[in-house]
Amino acid sequence: MTKSVKVLLVSVLLLFIGSVIAVIIIVRKPKGTYVEIVQNNEIIYSFDLSEEKNRTFRIAGQQGGWNEVRIEDGKISITDADCPDHTCVKAGVLRSENIPIVCLPHKLVIRFADKEQK
Amino acid sequence: MKTKKIARLSLLTAIALIIFIIELRIPDLLPIPGAKLGLANIITVYAVYKYNARETILLVITRVILGSLFGGNVSAIMYSMAGAMFCLICMLLIRRIIPLNFIWLSSVIGAILHNTGQILMAILLMRSFAVLSFYPFLIITGTIAGAFTGLCAQYIIKRHIPDKTVEK
Repeated sequence: MTKSVKVLLVSVLLLFIGSVIAVIIIVRKPKGTYVEIVQNNEIIYSFDLSEEKNRTFRIAGQQGGWNEVRIEDGKISITDADCPDHTCVKAGVLRSENIPIVCLPHKLVIRFADKEQK
Repeated sequence: MKTKKIARLSLLTAIALIIFIIELRIPDLLPIPGAKLGLANIITVYAVYKYNARETILLVITRVILGSLFGGNVSAIMYSMAGAMFCLICMLLIRRIIPLNFIWLSSVIGAILHNTGQILMAILLMRSFAVLSFYPFLIITGTIAGAFTGLCAQYIIKRHIPDKTVEK
């Protein structure tokens, strides 16, 4: 085991431990219920989840394609999309402040936001 | 480049593509974009240690382009290419200082850089730092997946498949 290997091993280990700590910090319950839907870095919808009625609506992508968003009992999720990977659908309900629901092919982000930003 | 070498490199590319396509059939374990096993990278790691830099880069570029065509997700090619290039350049750089028993470490570093490249590309394309919150998750999954593919590649490389059986 040479010195350079040791250096690399230790740095990878530190990075790994750092990420575990970061993940623990990230996965926390959200404080607010204020949500915004961002497409192509522009906020297209913003609302308070606790005041929203249960409903399902589609968001059309700018280069075609769509995502079906459902609001149910104060929870928001993407239920269907025509992208090939369906990562946004598998992400399920928006839970954490720090983990948005992201649809990379349609450049769509659903995330919690501060009320003050309005 | 000799014909023999071209044939061998294309064979490796074909193997990588087959692994890649089979892996597409495995359902995603985690709802994190970019988190996957990356079994096709066993071939990448193997090529890094068995062929020179130029040949390996050629192999990986071919695999990424064909892989995204076969996978039916051409829009993801930017992410794959950025990740693959980051990973490859770093693995080629540290190839000399990593002994044969620590190839898995090289693969782990490669996997982390692969994810780094993807995240950077996503930031560039989406012009938003929101995706950065996936980064710690990707480092963890990348480390585990990288260690696994790296170990696979290490066993293959150490077994040393003799060239002569291929040439005859």
